[in-house]
Amino acid sequence: MSDTLVESSAGSAFLDLHKKIIEQGSPALAELQQVALNRFEVLGFPHSKHEMYTYVNTKGLVETAFSLSDGSKKVSEDFVASHVYPGCENQCLVFVDGIFNRDLSRVEKVSANLVPLSESVSSDQDLKKYLSETAENENDVFAALSTAFCGEGLVFKVGDNTQISEPVQVLFVSTGGSPVMHAPRLVWQLGKLSEVKVIEKFVGVEGGYFINAVQDWLLEEGAGVSFTQVQADASDSWHFSKTRVHLHRNSRFHSSNASFGSQLARHHYDVRLQEEGSELRLNGVSVLDGKEQVHNFIRIHHEAPQCVSHQHFKNVINGHARSSFDGTVIVNQGAQLTSSDQLINNLMLSNDGHADNKPNLMIFADDVKCTHGATIGQIDKEQWFYLQTRGLSARVAKELLTRSFAKSIIETIEFPEVVKDLNSTLLKKLEVRNV
Amino acid sequence: MSDEQNSVSDILEDNTYKYGFTTDVESETFAKGLNEDVVRAISKKKNEPQFMLDFRLKAFAKWKTMKVPEWPNVHYPPIDFQNISYYSAPKQKKVLNSLDEVDPEVMRTFEKLGIPLDEQKKLANVAVDAVFDSVSVATTHKKKLMEVGIIFCSFSEALQEYPELIEEYIGSVVPVGDNYYAALNSAVFTDGSFVYIPPDTISPMEISTYFRINTEETGQFERTLIICAENSYVSYLEGCTAPQFDTNQLHAAVVELVTLENAEIKYSTVQNWYAGDKETGKGGIYNFVTKRGKCQGDGSKISWTQVETGSAITWKYPSCLLLGDNTTGEFYSVALTNGHMQADTGTKMIHVGKNTRSSIISKGISADYSSNSYRGQVKVGKNATNARNYSQCDSMLVGDKSSAHTFPYIETANSSVQVEHEAATSKISEDQLFYFESRGISRENAIEAVISGFCKEVFKQLPMEFAVEAQKLLTLKLEDSVG
Repeated sequence: MSDTLVESSAGSAFLDLHKKIIEQGSPALAELQQVALNRFEVLGFPHSKHEMYTYVNTKGLVETAFSLSDGSKKVSEDFVASHVYPGCENQCLVFVDGIFNRDLSRVEKVSANLVPLSESVSSDQDLKKYLSETAENENDVFAALSTAFCGEGLVFKVGDNTQISEPVQVLFVSTGGSPVMHAPRLVWQLGKLSEVKVIEKFVGVEGGYFINAVQDWLLEEGAGVSFTQVQADASDSWHFSKTRVHLHRNSRFHSSNASFGSQLARHHYDVRLQEEGSELRLNGVSVLDGKEQVHNFIRIHHEAPQCVSHQHFKNVINGHARSSFDGTVIVNQGAQLTSSDQLINNLMLSNDGHADNKPNLMIFADDVKCTHGATIGQIDKEQWFYLQTRGLSARVAKELLTRSFAKSIIETIEFPEVVKDLNSTLLKKLEVRNV
Repeated sequence: MSDEQNSVSDILEDNTYKYGFTTDVESETFAKGLNEDVVRAISKKKNEPQFMLDFRLKAFAKWKTMKVPEWPNVHYPPIDFQNISYYSAPKQKKVLNSLDEVDPEVMRTFEKLGIPLDEQKKLANVAVDAVFDSVSVATTHKKKLMEVGIIFCSFSEALQEYPELIEEYIGSVVPVGDNYYAALNSAVFTDGSFVYIPPDTISPMEISTYFRINTEETGQFERTLIICAENSYVSYLEGCTAPQFDTNQLHAAVVELVTLENAEIKYSTVQNWYAGDKETGKGGIYNFVTKRGKCQGDGSKISWTQVETGSAITWKYPSCLLLGDNTTGEFYSVALTNGHMQADTGTKMIHVGKNTRSSIISKGISADYSSNSYRGQVKVGKNATNARNYSQCDSMLVGDKSSAHTFPYIETANSSVQVEHEAATSKISEDQLFYFESRGISRENAIEAVISGFCKEVFKQLPMEFAVEAQKLLTLKLEDSVG
């Protein structure tokens, strides 16, 4: 794997832009941003054959001259309200163009949990150390870029033995309309035996923007997280996100992602099962059309014995869309009794779509059970025929089968309102044509 | 039971690498180093036609611009390509008329290896081409094959007698600049085997080549070209061994297969190059091989079967280019690593034609400190309608210091395809062994049974003699590692 850089002019445009953020930003974060910027310079933008970006063409993104949001664009309360799920009205954090917007958010119930990132970095030396070490060792150039440009982020703390039973929604609104880059940043710290349920939704008012989000989940012993992400950005936007998860003894992290796709949506998960008994579940579904693309990049490190990880991803590909998956499960030496499975199913509806998969296993321990599977196929003709014999038209039968393919993931989401929303919006994309 | 006990004790006695001897043969070896003059000298030495020299020089020019691939999951110190001799041949005074004139030392070497070339003793129904260091020393059964029109000879001979066939096909499957080691091979290859099966011919016997590296610090660069014309069939076997040296030797071969309409080639390899010292990892062969088959004609088929048990480092991806419609590619592999061996092996199935199908069955076993990677690509082009692939790659780990990796690449650009991939990693379970032992079967035999069950799907693809040999080889190698 070579790390040959793309021509430096694109990188230097970002460097110039960075001066601005240092001037405007908080001094407490400046050190972290500088570390990340240095890392960004070392890594450079990837060329098309870079092993981490095999199926992702970032040329268009790199060549776009992005500017930073000046925070002047307003979002109406109605727009926000239309994207807040029923049941989350009282616990909703709203980010507009990457910056936490207190006026639009409803945080009365959780205000004690929220600490601005700059404040947390100044007071919590452990967190500061963790963040700068992570930035120093970052291997994903876009995550380095995000940290270098992050505005005032948020730290969400849940104390020991605290369970927040109502789901917390985080809404990322991008105003768009011009090539603007923003980099929201969140850190979730969960104390021992604490629990939280989180729904994140990414939406855009207009397209053309580049959202590059990074978040860290630090789970102490016995903590539990249910995490749902809905990526519903404008179809001509760029969406990059990196989710780092650190799991300690007996903690569990259940995540579901539903993607509408965009010009390029890349989800990067980096999960470390650091202590015995931790458990991970990653599910994902995407329904793509036109020229949309979704790329899932997953690295799961089994560092301790007796941990469990499950992954299941399903993609429906229509039009000229492209779905790609690059996932590796790494079982370290000594991580005996690991159980890990990974399954990727792709349903191809058109002749011009692409489905690319790279499900890897790297195993350094002998007493483990690891499996992976990947399939690419079409609607089962026999099932389709059967439904037609029962009086359904070919069109309806096909739509029914496609919907049920996607639904098997959507219905694992534990929030009925999100399921309802996805059934009516995400699956609506299937009705447009080709059925 | 007593039979089984015997077989285990046989195995125990034979536990060392029994092919590790060297043969004292007077040989002619070029001085170490590589430059254009060496390439010209090799070509001149072999009295090659002009097109061959041009081919070599083109490859050499290309090679100079290329970099050593770093993507495989193997680690070794950089190879000094100037510290290798690129030509070594047993010294011969004159052209040989019959096998009786071959250096008796060389003949004895092959006898020790269990490959009798002697006319009287030769294997009943297998034609053998024996390659000693870089040069083909003997080819058996040539006449009998010629009767049905099959050409089976050393590459050098083919260059003299059938240059038009070579010119047409060489480099057509593996272009000169395909990869670093293929380019090196194209520039400096010395010999190898050439097979041509004429139309409508079923080869009456198995055809095989036996490779032996003898001289220290030479590289072996052989080239095999098999062309199977319309409606023909051939089964080809390949075996390899090398003496024990403390230094690493380089083996960079290229194999090209071409099938025309409705033809079929079945290519089987049992690779048992010296793997280096089991404890220290010192010495052993670097096995960097490019093997590729092209299903050019409609309805043709190429099937690769490999049993990889040797080499310090293996880097090898026998591939199929499915160009014709209704063509089939198959890959069956057992790769065993133990000691400090590293293997990064797998296949590529490139679907271009319509209704093409491929299947991949790969079994990796890693023991001791070794690392075993499967790396495979299934690529379906835009026009490959109704393409079908099934891949299965299973790994078995023996010992907690070994590692197993799987790197599949699945790329499709067509909606009518059906691609399935599955992989699993496991160990020999204590429960299984306990069950065997409770039935009075010794632990060694139990392990042998489990391993042979694990690899059954691949072994059944091998010709019978090879299957027996392969299974023994695995048991022998795993002795000491389990239990």
